[in-house]
Amino acid sequence: MARKKKKSEEPEDIDDLEEEDSLSDLEEDFAEELDEDIDLEEELDLLDTDDISVLEEEEEPIFDKDEETKQLYLSCGIHIGTKLISGDFKERGWLFRATNYGLYVIDLTQTEERIKIAAKFLSKYVEEGSDKVIVSSVRRYGKEPVRKFCEALGCRAIVDRFIPGSLTNPNIGTYIKDASVVVIVDPHADKVILREAKLARIPVVSLFDTDDNLKGIDLAIPANNRGKKALGLAFWILAREILLELGKIASEDDFPYSLDDFTSNIVPMYKLQEQ
Amino acid sequence: MSRSNVCSCCGRPVTPYEAAVHFPCPNCGDVTIWRCETCRDRGKTYRCLKCDFVGP
Repeated sequence: MARKKKKSEEPEDIDDLEEEDSLSDLEEDFAEELDEDIDLEEELDLLDTDDISVLEEEEEPIFDKDEETKQLYLSCGIHIGTKLISGDFKERGWLFRATNYGLYVIDLTQTEERIKIAAKFLSKYVEEGSDKVIVSSVRRYGKEPVRKFCEALGCRAIVDRFIPGSLTNPNIGTYIKDASVVVIVDPHADKVILREAKLARIPVVSLFDTDDNLKGIDLAIPANNRGKKALGLAFWILAREILLELGKIASEDDFPYSLDDFTSNIVPMYKLQEQ
Repeated sequence: MSRSNVCSCCGRPVTPYEAAVHFPCPNCGDVTIWRCETCRDRGKTYRCLKCDFVGP
């Protein structure tokens, strides 16, 4: 047994020697690196200042403006569509791709471009008379964004039930005279106001998801119209761009409302059940 | 003889009794776009003569 142990120890000794050599090489390398580090430290000491704010100001932003807005769009999920796709949506070329699990994704560049065009279009009507612009949402998540949008621009918001005849029947109390343009969130949900706008010959601007169709719509904005963050972002950017077009604010930073103001505070039922 | 308004989608003259709509071009704002009742119902595309904007 003792011989066997000796035999087994011999190769280990050779390995140990090799390891020692390699360790000594590593130590030498480390010593050289340490010398370099010292030089770097000396250089850093020269740059070292007591005032930290000076260094913070000199830092360049990681993202440029376009990249930042793109990240904002992605974080709010404005590009996420549904598992259904309509022929109208497909024909217009607003589809970016379809995911492996069947969800269709909207092209962000088209969304951004269309929001700017819609802002340009709506600014003309807001300039003529903001109370003649009607913004409607039957969806629960769209009520808070619509309220804030109308607060910022002075438009007329319809967030409760739309009483039939409000645009066509002058004999009822809720009749709105001389409406110039109608903005809706979802053509499926707001079908009553869409039908009345058609009869009253009023142009319609609408958010347009992958499963909607263009019947009765005069200007569509391809965007997710189901998520509360997406709806908040869409109306927040639209309001900001309209005020920029009108010249009421000088830059994007001057817009007095934050994105959280436009986002609905409603907690979904499934989250309440989890709690 | 006054010139009648023409639908920007189909090119037909717009009759006064139909539920047609007109609005300035959303992109340039210089050209007035007319959409007849049928084209609006069917969601047909319109094109601006000046800036080539395609809607809706």
